[in-house]
Amino acid sequence: MKRLLKYLKPYVRETVLGPLGKLCEATLELIVPLVVASIIDRGIGGGDTTHASLMVLLLVALGCAGLFFSVFAQYYSAKAAVGFSTGIRHALYTHIQSLSYSDLDSLGTSTVITRMTTDSSRVQAGLNFSLRLLLRSPFVVFGAMIMAYAIDSSAGRAFAITIPLLSIVVFGVLFITMPLYKKVQMGVDKILGRTRGNLSGVRVIRAFGKEDAEVNSFVSDNLTLTKKQNRAGHISALMNPLTYIIINLGIIMLIHTGALRVNSGELSQGEVIALYNYMSQILVELIKLANLIISISRALASASRISDVLDIEPTQSYGEYSEGLNSEYAVELRGASLRYPSSPEYALEGISVRVKHGETVGIIGGTGSGKSSLVNLIPRFYDVTDGELLIDGRSIDEYSKKALRDKIGVVPQRAVLLAGTVRENLSFGGECTDEEMTYALRVAQAEDFIIEKGGLDARVEAGGKNFSGGQRQRLTIARAIASKPEILILDDSASALDYATDARLRGAIREFSKNMTVFIVSQRTSSVRHADKIIVLDDGCCVGIGTHDELLESCEIYREIYDSQFRREGEYEK
Amino acid sequence: MKNKAEKGTVSKVLHYIGKYKYLLPVSIFLAFISTVLTLYVPVIIGDAIDLIGGKGAVDMKGVVSCLFYAAILIGICSVCQWLMSVINNKIAYSVTGDIRNEAFSKLQRLPLSSIDTTPHGDIVNRVINDTDRFCEGLLLGFTQVFTGVMTIVGTMCFMLILNWQIAITVLVLTPLSVFIAKFIGGRTFNMFKKRAEDEAEATSFINEMLTNQKLVSAFGKESDSIAKFKDIGDRLNKSSLDAIFFSSLTNPTTRFVNNLVYAAVALVGALLIISGNGSAMLTIGEFSVMLSYTNQYTKPFNEISGVFAEFQNALASAARVFELIEKEEMTPDREDATVLVSARGDVEITNAEFSYTKDKPLIKGLNLQVRQGERIAIVGPTGCGKTTIINLLMRFYDIDSGKIAVDGIDISNMTRKSLRCAYGMVLQDTWLTDGSIRDNISFGKPDATDEEIVDAAKAAHAHSFIKRLPRGYDTVPGADSEGLSQGQKQLISIARVMLTSPSMLILDEATSSIDTRTEMKIQEAFSKMMVGRTSFIVAHRLSTIREADLILVMRDGRIVETGRHDELLENGGFYAELYNSQFAI
Repeated sequence: MKRLLKYLKPYVRETVLGPLGKLCEATLELIVPLVVASIIDRGIGGGDTTHASLMVLLLVALGCAGLFFSVFAQYYSAKAAVGFSTGIRHALYTHIQSLSYSDLDSLGTSTVITRMTTDSSRVQAGLNFSLRLLLRSPFVVFGAMIMAYAIDSSAGRAFAITIPLLSIVVFGVLFITMPLYKKVQMGVDKILGRTRGNLSGVRVIRAFGKEDAEVNSFVSDNLTLTKKQNRAGHISALMNPLTYIIINLGIIMLIHTGALRVNSGELSQGEVIALYNYMSQILVELIKLANLIISISRALASASRISDVLDIEPTQSYGEYSEGLNSEYAVELRGASLRYPSSPEYALEGISVRVKHGETVGIIGGTGSGKSSLVNLIPRFYDVTDGELLIDGRSIDEYSKKALRDKIGVVPQRAVLLAGTVRENLSFGGECTDEEMTYALRVAQAEDFIIEKGGLDARVEAGGKNFSGGQRQRLTIARAIASKPEILILDDSASALDYATDARLRGAIREFSKNMTVFIVSQRTSSVRHADKIIVLDDGCCVGIGTHDELLESCEIYREIYDSQFRREGEYEK
Repeated sequence: MKNKAEKGTVSKVLHYIGKYKYLLPVSIFLAFISTVLTLYVPVIIGDAIDLIGGKGAVDMKGVVSCLFYAAILIGICSVCQWLMSVINNKIAYSVTGDIRNEAFSKLQRLPLSSIDTTPHGDIVNRVINDTDRFCEGLLLGFTQVFTGVMTIVGTMCFMLILNWQIAITVLVLTPLSVFIAKFIGGRTFNMFKKRAEDEAEATSFINEMLTNQKLVSAFGKESDSIAKFKDIGDRLNKSSLDAIFFSSLTNPTTRFVNNLVYAAVALVGALLIISGNGSAMLTIGEFSVMLSYTNQYTKPFNEISGVFAEFQNALASAARVFELIEKEEMTPDREDATVLVSARGDVEITNAEFSYTKDKPLIKGLNLQVRQGERIAIVGPTGCGKTTIINLLMRFYDIDSGKIAVDGIDISNMTRKSLRCAYGMVLQDTWLTDGSIRDNISFGKPDATDEEIVDAAKAAHAHSFIKRLPRGYDTVPGADSEGLSQGQKQLISIARVMLTSPSMLILDEATSSIDTRTEMKIQEAFSKMMVGRTSFIVAHRLSTIREADLILVMRDGRIVETGRHDELLENGGFYAELYNSQFAI
């Protein structure tokens, strides 16, 4: 929490001036009843028209000064709050950029987005209201009481009784209803989940003819929600009548004591009216304060969530080398293991493999066998838990981040494009000429449909929604190729392509660069069978390394996978 | 035009409120009583103050009886206030609950074309968030607008009764406050619009970049991304400050105008009393009542203008919900529709034509005859529209012309429910309900015994992994943090079908993402299930395709070839190309 305060530092002046303006305004408001009392006692009581007029002018002056102070306060509060939240948001965004893949995994994308949007706006609103009201409201409440005591101590007692009672009711109702409203929110979440599930499962539900059953359970959840809403609503409905009773009983008490004191000559009629006015001011301020507390407690919760994200130390640090050691091997794994922070199990265990420059390596295995984990080690998306990983003979953590990104091109499993043009997407990995881009598109088998869509300047919608799955995959491949990496990783990135296109693509990539080391992850034996080397993974362990033919001989799991895809082995071989 | 639409929405809302119409007059009556009393109590207090003349001139007895009278009215008033809130809550929450139920049951009657083409988030928003916002608006409308208007009218009446000169002073000056609030509101509207635009830009940037943070990191684009964000953030900072500051001027300025009105009332009142000099133009008590009226009189004005915006939002939300509720429903089953019981499983498609959109014909003149127990494989590249066939067979979509018949009966003359229940469907992306595994398996047959459930699970090769879960069949996938794998979920959905033993099957083979072992189990379960049942399989593996009685080859949503494996290979068409490409290079 404390670390957030530093983003308020540039706004110290605003943070002080805002509430100060509010306090001045409140002080002026507290003077008004005294002026009115004076109008009544000296002006009306004494029949002094001049005095009454002067006092009215004073009221106008007080109003003008009040306007000035409050505009002043609103401006500085808004400036501090907006600046503070902008600072926080910027700090968050910058911080997120420094996080590693495993940090991002444990955070989760939706969490990060909520911190950046909803939470930071809540902090903004909370700070703004706090600067404006947190000091003002109690100041008016206690100021009114002090003024009352100054006028008459026995009348002041009515305030001393009323204020605590009002506070108990206002905050009592608040604290009782807060958990009730939380329950209401849970009820809303429940029917929200039902609606969402009903839509995503619409085919299954209709296939089994369960529409009525769905409606029934929705109606019953909805009824529970309505009941919860009513319960919370009835209790918070007590707030107005109870405060009304208390404040008016306070007034009755005040008038009664006032009457006695006036009768004995210790108090004037105007002063009684002033006391009456002070009493009325209290209620409004207490209710404002109660609303403020809701807003503040939300803002504090949001602030601590934001601060949790900022507290995450990035788990990776990089070296400074940009060149390798001209080793024979492009990539070398020595007993590499990987365990994700969130999991007790190893995702990869004791993998040792050496890959020469220009080799094509296929990686195959079932779901969860560790294929993606293995290729995620090479660009250092994750660090090996045990063992070693060398890129061109140099330990991977001695490279700078930029060097790794330049050397290694990755086509991720999920084909993601960013909103913009095809050109912007292709140059994402670094500047390149139109010729280079066109060539990359040709290699990726994407040239045809890109020409159809309007060439390099064709629009790409967010997420690449205006392209089909297969087209997106080919574009992401082109993006990786365009930056001409030394090592290219295709992480199951041709799964949406039909076999023919997939085959053409592999051929073209081989043509494209003889020196490029290529890793192909796939579920299909047909995609990897022509690789120089195939790594077979099962449950995080390497169970075979070799060519297609060698593995068919020696590796049972490879054979099993192959058989499941080509049941009668060899029958249709040409 | 817009007003007309709003009126339409209002009358629909009134229709829903109609159910609680006996509560509405009660609420209004209570609002009336409590407003009048709230205004009348200060008058009595004023009377009491008048009885406090000065030293030795206090009518103590009169004061006490006034205060006693006030206390009783205060009691009545607060009871009325509470009852009114309770009733308003009841009306608002019940009406929203009703609308929500209506919206949800509407979802069950929407044609799938409508559900498929509308983003689910949008529908969920209408059913949940829009109804919520509408509920808040309704409550505000009841509590604030009713009492607000009554307070304004009431105060005016009381003021006129007490003293017309002061009443007129107030009446002339108050529009000033409203005018200023409006003026600022109009000015800030554009600022808020600018801020909303900047905010939307920032949000969509944040969404896109952070969702793809790994990509940004993989291409080393962090500093570019930060620079872009800073630019957007700075613009948002500026427009937020403008919008927040200028909108927060409304309160101080209206308060300022109120203070001016207050001063004017003080002046007029004081002069009246002084010049009246004892004659009963205005008493000091009444003077103080007038002052406190002036203070609270303008408050409802500001509140109402705030509430009015809120109310318009609520109406817009209500309109969105009604739009959903009034969407075109699928054609209901005919009254004389046949109920298909224990179907044999002969399927015949004659001259079927179908398209999702009128201008893009997809299926033309499709003829297909399937006898009981036959296997039909549907093959083609991803995205070629294999699911279209499923949509038509299950009548998720109706064909445009032609006929699909099961056991010789046209399926459009059949109840949808009985047709669908005749099929067992296992889709690739498995959907499970949020219940336990037991609930999920018995989904199609809620009265199944435990034994039947376990038998179905065993037949689907799901029993062995289910029993190893910590809570066995009571495990709630998802909630118990028992993340089931895609393959395991599919096994459960096979068990779900096994239990209902339908006469026809629709199966969707997995393309990838399932490990080999589980996959083999699924294959075994599939072949066990297919024995003696007419099966339509969206097929990816050659073994399934080879064993099929008929292969439908699809491309770009169209069926381009039909026949058996060997025939199709010989023809050398698209199928042959697909098949051979496996062995290219």
